[in-house]
Amino acid sequence: MQRISIDPITRLEGHGKIEIFLDDEGNFANSYFQIPELRGFERFCVGRQVEEVPILTNRICGVCPEAHHMAGAKAVDAVYHVDPPRTAKMLRELLYSAFYCTDHTTHFYALAGPDFIMGPTAPVAERNILGVIHKVGLEIGGKVIQMRKYGHSVVEMIGGRKVHPCTSIPGGLTKGITTEQRDEIEKMGRWAIEFAQFTLQAFNDIVLGNKDYLDLILGDIYTHRTYYIGMVDENNKVNFYDGKVSVVGPDGVRLGKYAPNEYPDWIAEHVEPWTYLKFPYLKKVGWKGFVDGKDSGVYMATPLSRLNAADGMATPLAQAEYEKFYSTLGGKPVHQRLAIHWARLIELLYAAERWVELVTDPEITSDNFRTIPTEKPTEGVGIVEAPRGTLTHHYWTDERGVTTRVNLIVGTTNNYAPIQMSTKKAAQSLIKKGGVISEGLLNMVEMAFRAYDPCFGCATHSLPGQMPLEITIRDAKGNTVDILKQNC
Amino acid sequence: MKTLVVGLGNPILGDDGVGWRIAEEIQHSGSLPPGVDVVCLAVGGIGLMEALEGYEKAIIIDAIVTHRDPIGTTSSFRLDQAADPSFSHLTSAHDTSLPNAIQVGSDLGIRLPDQITIVAIESQKVYDFSEELSTPVAAAIPEAVRLIMEILRENR
Repeated sequence: MQRISIDPITRLEGHGKIEIFLDDEGNFANSYFQIPELRGFERFCVGRQVEEVPILTNRICGVCPEAHHMAGAKAVDAVYHVDPPRTAKMLRELLYSAFYCTDHTTHFYALAGPDFIMGPTAPVAERNILGVIHKVGLEIGGKVIQMRKYGHSVVEMIGGRKVHPCTSIPGGLTKGITTEQRDEIEKMGRWAIEFAQFTLQAFNDIVLGNKDYLDLILGDIYTHRTYYIGMVDENNKVNFYDGKVSVVGPDGVRLGKYAPNEYPDWIAEHVEPWTYLKFPYLKKVGWKGFVDGKDSGVYMATPLSRLNAADGMATPLAQAEYEKFYSTLGGKPVHQRLAIHWARLIELLYAAERWVELVTDPEITSDNFRTIPTEKPTEGVGIVEAPRGTLTHHYWTDERGVTTRVNLIVGTTNNYAPIQMSTKKAAQSLIKKGGVISEGLLNMVEMAFRAYDPCFGCATHSLPGQMPLEITIRDAKGNTVDILKQNC
Repeated sequence: MKTLVVGLGNPILGDDGVGWRIAEEIQHSGSLPPGVDVVCLAVGGIGLMEALEGYEKAIIIDAIVTHRDPIGTTSSFRLDQAADPSFSHLTSAHDTSLPNAIQVGSDLGIRLPDQITIVAIESQKVYDFSEELSTPVAAAIPEAVRLIMEILRENR
C-alpha cells in the first residue's frame, strides 16, 4: 500500500491533512481528510460572565472574528431575552457586510484566483497572489488592498477595533456612528459595489470565458448532490446576519426552515474512528454514510449553499448575477463545488450593495442603539452566516449570567463530510494506475477542498499558525519518495 | 526611525500566547525608546503585512515548536535569513505567507520595514485552551524582553 499525504503543516503540528492511500498496483484505494483536535474551548468558556463570551470567541480565529462576535452577540441577546433596537441591528449588519467584502475579496484574489488565473497546474512559485497581481496588473492588486482597508475601516468605526470587534453587548452596541462617519462609510460602500462588479467581470472574462475552466467547473470530478443550508430573510432571500436557516434537498425542494433555537431538532453529529472532529448531518434525513442523494443527511454550508437554499438575493445587482449564475449552470440547485467561487463573488456584490443600503437608512445615526436587558438570563442561540458557512453559538447560564455550558457549530465543521467526499472523489478521479502523480495533479485534488476554504482555526476553535501545503509521497513501505511544497 | 514590535499568537491557547505576554511587558516597561509602537496581533500573511505599513523596522515575537531546543529557548533571526520563512503564525492559510505578502505590498508601493527580526520562543503546550503559560515558557519572558530591548537600542 502506498500513501500520499497532502499536508498543510502548522507550527502547532496540529494541522489538517489529506491522506491518500493507493493499493499495491497504484490504484486509488481510499482517502481521509483529517482535522486535528485542539482541546477544550467550550469548557474554557464555562464559568465566565456570558457577555464576555462574544469577545472570547473572537480569539478562535484571526480570519473571521467578526462572525464569531456577531453570532456570540446574538446568542447573548437571546440569553437575556432582549431584542436590540433597529439601529443596533443595522449597525451590526453594516459592520458584517463590510467584513464580508474584505473576506470574500481576499479569498478570490489570494486563494481561488491562483488556480484559475495562473492555472491549476502552473508552477507552485507562481500560483499565489503575487503571481495573480503580476498577471492581472498592479492596479488591480492595489484595489484588492484598498477593498481590505475600507473593510477594516468600517469594522473599526462600528466595532471599536480593526480586526477583533468588541462593541456588541447584550441588547445592542456600546456606541453608534456620527453623520461624518456615515458619509465616509457610504463613500467606501459605493466604491465597494464598483469593485465587486469589476471582480465579477474579471471572473466572467478569465474563468467563464475559458472553455477548459468551464468544463472543469461543470465536470463530474467536483460534483456532489447533497442538501444545502443557508440563512434567509422573511422573503427567503439570502441574509448573512438574521433570519431562519433554510434547508433544501438535492432536488431543490425546501425541506424546511429553522429558527436559531430550533437547531438541535435539525442538526445531529456523526462520529468516525479516524478523526476527532464530528460530522454534522440533517437529523430529519439521517446519517447514511459519505454518500450523495436525497436519503443521505449530508449537507453543505457555503456561499453556493446559501444561494441554493434561498429564492434569490435581496439587492438588485446581485439578483441579476444570481439569475445569470443559474441560467449559465443549468438551473437550481447547482451541485458543482467549484461554482462556490462564483457564488462567493455574487455574495461579494450583495454585501457591498447591502452595505450602502444600510448606511443610507435614515435611522443609522440614531442614538437608540441599545435596549437595556431587564430579564434574568437563561439560555440562548445565535446564528449568522460566516463566510465559510452557517455559524451557531449556543450558551447556557445560571441566573447571574455566568456560563454553565457552551456549544459551537462552525462553518468548516458543517462542511466536514462534504469536504471528505469532495477530496476523495477528486483523488479517485485523478489518480490512476501508471499515471504520474505530479504536483499539478495533487493541486487539483487540493482544489476540491480549497473551494470550501476550510478554516482549521474555526473547526478546532483555535488559531493555529498556518503554513503552506506540504505534499509528501511515500512508497509502499512508507518511505518518503518526494516532498512537494506549495505556498498559499 | 519608526519601529513596530508585534506580539503574535493566540492569547487563550496556552504557550501560544507568549508573544502577547512579552509584547505587553515591553509596552509597560517604561523604557521604550522613542518611535517604537507595540501591538498584539493574531493575523498572518496579508493582514500582518498591512499592520507593518509605515514602519522602517519591525520585531515579531512568536511561539515556535521545533523540538530541537529546550522549552523556553529564545532565539532571534532576520526574516530574510530564515531557513523557512513560512513558519509559525507568519502565514495565513486563507491568503499567503508574510514574505509573499511583503513582496505584494512592496510591488504596490506600500512602505514596509526593510528589516524584520523574528524573536521565537520554543514552546510546549499549544493544544489546550488556557490563559496560562507553561512554567519554562513563562520563565523565558525576562530574557526575551532583555533581548528585544537590546535590538531596539541597536536599531536607534
